[in-house]
Amino acid sequence: MDWLEEIALRESEPIQRILADKFIYDSNTDPRLGRADRLKRVKEQLRRRRYPRLARTEDKIRSHISALKLHPAIRLSVLPGLEGGQLSVEFQAGSVAEFKAAATKLSDAIPLSSLAAIFNLLSGHAEKEQS
Amino acid sequence: MNFIPEELVVERGCESSVIFNNLRSTLPQVPVKLVDDVRLGAAGSDSANQFGAAKRKLYLTRHRGEFFKKCPGSEGQVCCNYFVINFASNCPMDCSYCYLQEYLADNASLKVFSNIGDLIDEADRTLRKHRGHFFRIGTGEITDSLALEPYTGIVRELIPYFAEQPNVLLELKTKSDCVDNLLDLDPKGRIVVAWSMNPQPVIDRDEHGTASFAERLLAARRCQQAGYRLGFHFDPMIEYPGWETDYQSMVAEIFASIDWRKVCWLSLGVLRETPGLKRVMRQRFPRTRLLAGEQVLCPDGKLRYFQPQRIRMYRKMVQWIRQSAPTVQIYLCMESKEIWQQVFGFAPACEKELGNRMAPVD
Repeated sequence: MDWLEEIALRESEPIQRILADKFIYDSNTDPRLGRADRLKRVKEQLRRRRYPRLARTEDKIRSHISALKLHPAIRLSVLPGLEGGQLSVEFQAGSVAEFKAAATKLSDAIPLSSLAAIFNLLSGHAEKEQS
Repeated sequence: MNFIPEELVVERGCESSVIFNNLRSTLPQVPVKLVDDVRLGAAGSDSANQFGAAKRKLYLTRHRGEFFKKCPGSEGQVCCNYFVINFASNCPMDCSYCYLQEYLADNASLKVFSNIGDLIDEADRTLRKHRGHFFRIGTGEITDSLALEPYTGIVRELIPYFAEQPNVLLELKTKSDCVDNLLDLDPKGRIVVAWSMNPQPVIDRDEHGTASFAERLLAARRCQQAGYRLGFHFDPMIEYPGWETDYQSMVAEIFASIDWRKVCWLSLGVLRETPGLKRVMRQRFPRTRLLAGEQVLCPDGKLRYFQPQRIRMYRKMVQWIRQSAPTVQIYLCMESKEIWQQVFGFAPACEKELGNRMAPVD
């Protein structure tokens, strides 16, 4: 409810019109989704509208993470809200060979522009700037 | 400043104080009520806006605790080794983002303390004991340092003492233009008069009862001409459509008016509030756009603009400041080492390092 009020305040729109937004309305009325999933999607849509630039930055970071084409067992993530400016790297290895494979994949990602772009976004630089 | 209290509530025993005499002579039209205990006199208002109502009367009482303490700062953030002296509690102004709305919610009455001699004695004991240590002391933690000065004359009592202390810079932080009482005193390089600054549109929307930007700037110029060092606090910085134009103009105008070489320090800090303060803001100022910024919860429990956004804000401000004041000391208030590193390319190793950077080079 706070998000709805804050969106209404910022955009000078009545709450009813915000809830009538196509994405929110579609999420809320999708017959394929259970109640809990509908609520989750509506909340996500509201979050994106409440925090538009944060959401766009998070989307760009996710897109660059995908572009690194790392092994599915290697997980890169950032904190919600991007506080701390850190990129977390997680992988599991059951053997030296698996460890080496994951480390090699990560090492191969270093020169890729997407990796630099992630850190540029986290540190407040525009995408095209060099960090 | 247009504030006139509705009533002076005076604790019995304070009538012999200099502060009481000043209040009576400058506010002869304001009725005086003598009470044995100001806490009883301050019993809750019926008003739905109790915090606002508490500012309408002025209480004079003895302070029974410590006057002199370390600034509490914020957990996990870079500390600047600041100390505070509180000679009053609460403030006649009413900024919508003011943290006192939460911090003093249970003790909101606007108070000044009559026992200034005790304050000076306590400060003197500490300063003499630690002559090898440099103290940067502020008086605006839970009040505005000068907003009530035309009536109380407290700062006139403090300046002669602190001006003589070799290991101190005393900062008077204000959003007022109430500097008349200072101009005939000699600060001897030990007193810094500092203004919290924002562009006029922010002042209009969210700094109720404060001096205008032009009034603050004029007061700063007058203090500089009278020999005072200056400080400016761009805190809280507010992000809104057009903020870059407004803040850049504000910075340019400040440094076109005053000699930046006489500025001790500048601080930067974005709008920040606890979730509890945000609830109070929503209740007291439901239409303020401050509630609609893209703020996230940070590890110290305060909401701030999300990190890349505020780094961008700080970088731009530093760039604009440096265009006019290339070597003035700039520091961030309540930010992490990571933010310092991103904005300045370095972070202070410890609070003493940052505190010592502020020490005057005489």
